[in-house]
Amino acid sequence: MASSSSGLTFKLHPLVIVNISDHHTRVKSQSQPPTADVTSSSSPAPRVFGCVIGVQKARTVEIFNSFELLYDPSTHSLDRSFLEKKQELYKKVFPNFYILGWYSTGADAEESDMHIHKALMDINENPVYVLLNPLINHAQKDLPVTIYESEMHVIDGIPQLIFVQSSYTIETVEAERISVDHVAHLKPSDGGSAATQLAAHLTGIHSAIKMLNSRIRVLHHYLNAMQKGEIPYENSLLRQVSSLLRRLPAIESEKFQDDFLMEYNDTILISYLAMFTDCTSTMNDLVDKINIAYDRHSRKGGRTAFI
Amino acid sequence: MDPYSFSSSAAMAQQTWELENNIVTMETPQSSESDAIFYYDESAQAKFQQDKPWLNDPHYFKRVKISALALLKMVVHARSGGTIEVMGLMQGKTDGDAIIVMDAFALPVEGTETRVNAQADAYEYMVEYSQTNKQAGRLENVVGWYHSHPGYGCWLSGIDVSTQMLNQQYQEPFLAVVIDPTRTVSAGKVEIGAFRTYPEGYKPSDEPVSEYQTIPLNKIEDFGVHCKQYYSLDVTYFKSSLDCHLLDLLWNKYWVNTLSSSPLLGNGDYVAGQISDLAEKLEQAEGQLSHSRFGPLIAPTQRKKEEESQLDKITRDSAKITVEQVHGLMSQVIKDILFNSVRPSHKSQPESSGPEPMVQS
Repeated sequence: MASSSSGLTFKLHPLVIVNISDHHTRVKSQSQPPTADVTSSSSPAPRVFGCVIGVQKARTVEIFNSFELLYDPSTHSLDRSFLEKKQELYKKVFPNFYILGWYSTGADAEESDMHIHKALMDINENPVYVLLNPLINHAQKDLPVTIYESEMHVIDGIPQLIFVQSSYTIETVEAERISVDHVAHLKPSDGGSAATQLAAHLTGIHSAIKMLNSRIRVLHHYLNAMQKGEIPYENSLLRQVSSLLRRLPAIESEKFQDDFLMEYNDTILISYLAMFTDCTSTMNDLVDKINIAYDRHSRKGGRTAFI
Repeated sequence: MDPYSFSSSAAMAQQTWELENNIVTMETPQSSESDAIFYYDESAQAKFQQDKPWLNDPHYFKRVKISALALLKMVVHARSGGTIEVMGLMQGKTDGDAIIVMDAFALPVEGTETRVNAQADAYEYMVEYSQTNKQAGRLENVVGWYHSHPGYGCWLSGIDVSTQMLNQQYQEPFLAVVIDPTRTVSAGKVEIGAFRTYPEGYKPSDEPVSEYQTIPLNKIEDFGVHCKQYYSLDVTYFKSSLDCHLLDLLWNKYWVNTLSSSPLLGNGDYVAGQISDLAEKLEQAEGQLSHSRFGPLIAPTQRKKEEESQLDKITRDSAKITVEQVHGLMSQVIKDILFNSVRPSHKSQPESSGPEPMVQS
């Protein structure tokens, strides 16, 4: 599989990945009831198929959502009327999304997949094919999701469409990120004390920084090895690293400093006000208690009822 | 240099934190047996429908389990509505005293606050969608509805309560879920609540303890009138083993987003609204408190009944707003130190260009 040369950038939302995984788990567990013997679950799970929808702007293809489709194994094609019905339903709720392609599960793209791919070409002239590998392989550190495009290549003198792999990035909306984080790490769902919240927030940032650190170290190690001559020079990589370093410091202008300080001062002002409110409330309680304890107008008369 | 040792020490840090905070992790879905929750047992569900154990006990259902997929879909849909309320339906099944939500889908209606039965418009959509779903292999029935309260908290308004009471008469078992996408983004954790109403005239035997949340002044009357008519259920989440694996791997990709997120920038409007609301509440509270000479004679009897005075609630709200702001600022400062303090110089210690508070001229 060669890599794609179409120049399109792909952005994938985590919702799509969770959707496909859920579809697969559902079909798998329905076909193998839990009362069956565990050892018999070694038979390969049936493949599932579906459609991916999203937005395409110029050269960027952003895949937001997906839904299931019916597959007819005898004709190796997807049920067309079903697809159209589902598309109508989704258009009502998400009017901006178009059909961008289809998805399936499995280890590798197969020949029969090209058939389905071609069938979709009348809806979208360049559909994408998202493949998820449902086999859990703990040694693998990369997401088992690949995106394929189709390209016309001349093989043995015959122009044919073959699948080529494309790279993609994961894109999230803030809300999506928070809920994915929430489910992934099962953070405490209740308010907890301020200390717990602070710990949760800082742990999140801490792990992110650790990742950054480890990635930088890998690069550093690589560059060192290159310098020592253990690895042949690779100029394009060196250019990228150099341009990355030239971008630091990220922003350094008078205006930025001013705005940043203003934001900082705003936040400190808010905390000042909150402390003020807290003190006022405590003082209020104190005054109330003093009034009760040293009641000047008690019925017994006299200046103080309790000493 | 072993890059993987860092991820394992991150795992260790997470575990120590979890231990310190008594996090009880859900059943560890490492084996395929726990994926059994995904299996839909038609006959068992039909029998449950026949038995109707909820008729005798209004407080029958106590817990809700939401799948990762359903949560993600609901939160994304709620957020996409912006400041408009959106709604949708949830599909799933029941399991003893728990309602399990497997999936959710959005409905093409908007603004449920003014329309009592917005669901009527969406019946056609619902029927078609359920039919197509059953064909595609999703066998569960509709088991509840969800809607969003952008910015004003997770509770049931008067109209929501009447809608839910109607649902609980004709479509049992049914659940109401409310999501607040604005507070989710602002606080950095998911704001979600699951509720069931009591039947007309039923008085709960004990006062259920619910988590305090701040309600804006213009909605507080609606909240107060109806808050005794429903109870909230415990919400837990579950995911399949494949989901677990994928989400772990996803972290390798979206740690960038974690670092680059700026809650301060995104939620300026909401914070401003909260602060002005707090100011109004403060003015109201000022009217109530009095320290005149006759104060102590009148006040003590009232004091015993109120659990918290207005001022205490206001203090709590202001603390909450501040904490969120400070968290946002912390992220900004960290990013500034990370990316702005680098100088292409030979200094041994890069001087931090961190802001010197209120001293800059």
